[in-house]
Amino acid sequence: MSRRTLTGFLAVAAVIATTSTSLAEDKYALIMSSLGSANPFWGAVAQGAVDKGKELGVDVAAVGPPGGETDVAGQIALVEDQIAKGVKGIAISPADTAALVPALEQARARGVAVIFVDKRADMPGTYIGTDNIPAARMGAAHICENVPEGSEVAILQGIITGTTGQHRAQGAREGLEACGMKIVAEQPADWDAAKAQSATENIMTANPNLKAIFSSNDGMALGAVEAVRNAGKLDDMFIVGFDGNPGAAVAIIAGDLEASVAQRPYQMGQIGIESLLALAKGDTIDENIDTGAVLVTKENAEEFK
Amino acid sequence: MTHSDAASQDELATPAARRMQFIEKYGVFAVVVLMCLILSALEPDIFPTTLNLTNILRQIAMNALLALGLYIVILTAGIDLSVGSIMALATMLLAMADTSGYFPWPVALLVGPLIGIACGMVNGLGLTVLRLPHPFIMTLGTLYTLRGITNLVSAGRPISGISPEVRFLGSGEIPLPFLGEYASVPVSAFVILICYFGVSYFLRKAAIGRHIVAVGGNPQAARVSGINVDRILLIVYSLSGFFAGLAALLMAGRTGAGFPNAGIGAELDAIAAVIIGGASFFGGRGTVLGVFAGVLVMGLLRNGLNLMDVSAFWQQTFIGMIVVGAVYIDVLRRKAGTAR
Repeated sequence: MSRRTLTGFLAVAAVIATTSTSLAEDKYALIMSSLGSANPFWGAVAQGAVDKGKELGVDVAAVGPPGGETDVAGQIALVEDQIAKGVKGIAISPADTAALVPALEQARARGVAVIFVDKRADMPGTYIGTDNIPAARMGAAHICENVPEGSEVAILQGIITGTTGQHRAQGAREGLEACGMKIVAEQPADWDAAKAQSATENIMTANPNLKAIFSSNDGMALGAVEAVRNAGKLDDMFIVGFDGNPGAAVAIIAGDLEASVAQRPYQMGQIGIESLLALAKGDTIDENIDTGAVLVTKENAEEFK
Repeated sequence: MTHSDAASQDELATPAARRMQFIEKYGVFAVVVLMCLILSALEPDIFPTTLNLTNILRQIAMNALLALGLYIVILTAGIDLSVGSIMALATMLLAMADTSGYFPWPVALLVGPLIGIACGMVNGLGLTVLRLPHPFIMTLGTLYTLRGITNLVSAGRPISGISPEVRFLGSGEIPLPFLGEYASVPVSAFVILICYFGVSYFLRKAAIGRHIVAVGGNPQAARVSGINVDRILLIVYSLSGFFAGLAALLMAGRTGAGFPNAGIGAELDAIAAVIIGGASFFGGRGTVLGVFAGVLVMGLLRNGLNLMDVSAFWQQTFIGMIVVGAVYIDVLRRKAGTAR
């Protein structure tokens, strides 16, 4: 190895060294199941976690496996390496519900606090994420405020065998029933825009007086918009989606879609780190912590585009 | 631990050529040592600890086995892109066999390696019977097909609850109480050691091993000298499959589960390790020891970047640069070789 190559290596090493942080602060880790900022949702979670760490005077490393969402081995290595670094706690979104369990059990055996963010592994522990039931209720309440009581409404469900689909459907039903809406249809469209479009066509044919549609995700909501537009009823149909996707934000600004329920990833990161610190300190924390949801409407849709 | 012709030619060569040969054999170890020194300097409280160093052993085990299989394939100027998918299918099926309750654990233990051999044979048969033009095609096909079958049999869901006996090779630990409370060496490190010594011996001493090396050095000459090249290739791809199946067994042990996303992209890490270790895509070059050094380079890089919380983007970037750098050094080496 020539001296020049050696100098090159050391220069790279020095650059890396300046990016690593001091040893004085307590260390915590947010281990994501994606590359992080490559995905806007996780980018916001990471930002929230790092900002909260600064606020509380601890060092938070937000890291993800180099192979992205499917890199289970990479994520296990991250857990091990963070333990070796001496972190006091790990907030993780496991890339696999089963495969991460031994590594996380090992972390706990060594006194490292472990909590789950957005996804959980098949083991006990606090889960921090969006509780879909109250979030869907929030979307339903927005329909209640804008559509006359007793109107005919429909719910487009996601894949109903999964908890996300079940919880969103349940929250929507509860919310719409609570304000006296007449639910004429509850149909699964499997998170799929095309299926939602045909489902909406059929629902409108059977219920010509339909006034509002709650859709369990934005993709299906946009499918419903197409069906309603083709029927020439877009002006007097109130449609609410879920997820706050950029595509939905554009549709909200255009006036095709009325609103969408969005998760709050930045708060998820903040609350995640806050709870992790509490757990590491020895406080007892709730099994489920809801990070809440926010309604995307014409007023704030620009931020979600 | 070298192969056929290069070594015998160099026996008569000049001191400069001998030095060249020394660098070729051990140069990559200089990189390993340098990386260890840099990481020790950057993270003096973390990197050289027993826990971290044994973590590296735990983390490289799967790649070490996949790379060993790929080394044998690349020795014959071939390629096996399917090892990651073979690993996934083998992990899944062994998890299913073990948790089904129908098989005693010694049978479940064999499922991984046997599935690996079977998949490897399919690759070998595609090459020798279907006469597909290049192993890239056949193994690209099985990369997709085996991943698809893995998802089909598992319905995309992981299976946990693998028995402790089956998990032993992948998760067993031999305690080292004199080095600290938690200090231990993973059993998987011994699996790696045995496999590397085994393959090294096999390629040098066993008749089939020597034939593999001969096919790698010059397939035409090997054919003329009466070696059944097709049979050798079938064995080569079966061996690659076997090591992928063994990696599956270690992975199942490490995670306690079979999961459909196991080994996605693992073939690329393994190929990178083999190439960094000094093997050539044109076959006939490289050593088992070099491959192990290549695996260490990859493992150290990942571990070091993790310890410094370097973002995954940089990890990808660095690994790419190291692969290109290592092969470029190889190009320079060959140029120097032909110039003399």
